[in-house]
Amino acid sequence: MDNTRNQPSAGKFLSWFNPLGRQTGGWAFILNRITALGLTLYLFLHLIVLGQLAQGPGAYDNFLALTENPFIKLGELAAVAAVILHGLNGVRIILTSFGVGVTRQKQLFYGFMAVSIVIILFFVVRMY
Amino acid sequence: MSQSTLSTYVSRPRLGETTWVWLIKIVTGPLLVLLLILHLTVNHYLGSTSSGLMTYDDVIRYYQNPIIPAIEILFLVTVVTHCLIGLRGIILDMNPSRRVLSIVTWFLSLLGLFSVVYGIWLALTIAAKGG
Repeated sequence: MDNTRNQPSAGKFLSWFNPLGRQTGGWAFILNRITALGLTLYLFLHLIVLGQLAQGPGAYDNFLALTENPFIKLGELAAVAAVILHGLNGVRIILTSFGVGVTRQKQLFYGFMAVSIVIILFFVVRMY
Repeated sequence: MSQSTLSTYVSRPRLGETTWVWLIKIVTGPLLVLLLILHLTVNHYLGSTSSGLMTYDDVIRYYQNPIIPAIEILFLVTVVTHCLIGLRGIILDMNPSRRVLSIVTWFLSLLGLFSVVYGIWLALTIAAKGG
């Protein structure tokens, strides 16, 4: 067995952030990974925060007042954008995994990303 | 487009991931899209008496309909499963040793179990507050 191949490699993770030499598939891959990590963080923060509902109205409604903070609002918008980008990129992955549009990968990616931008802009307008 | 280029675009089980685990991740994806649309629409548009986020009273009132905690629990199980399988897939990209992968799998399984139990407890606690 090749032991070196199975060693943990942080370099592979860091290479996601290297924009050089990427093709469309590479950008789609990195977008999927980075939004996934952001959404994982958001999911567990969301679960922790919702725990305040068990403590009664004071704790929860005090937290709600915090959501007016512009930094928290920006974080919420980032989470919404990540959901939309990850969700629509994911729909493309599912379609192609089952043989739909495999030869039109680039067009599918650009199409879904265009739709994502329109939906994100709708949320920007609604939230601000 | 060449076959080798095409193959890099298509999702498939990776080394260290069974076909079943990969399939669960793929199937929970579109289910999540539907549940998320439902979750956001009901939470932020239909369930909220004020504009935007639901207040404590809004949430308690909303949870008195038994279908709501049921859907939220389904959403929780789906999102935690998809998220943790996906996170394991990202870790697989870094070629972990078998020992590290085994620790990661146990840790993520326990985290998932704890999150689901906690979420179910929370949903039932919120629903009970309106009684």
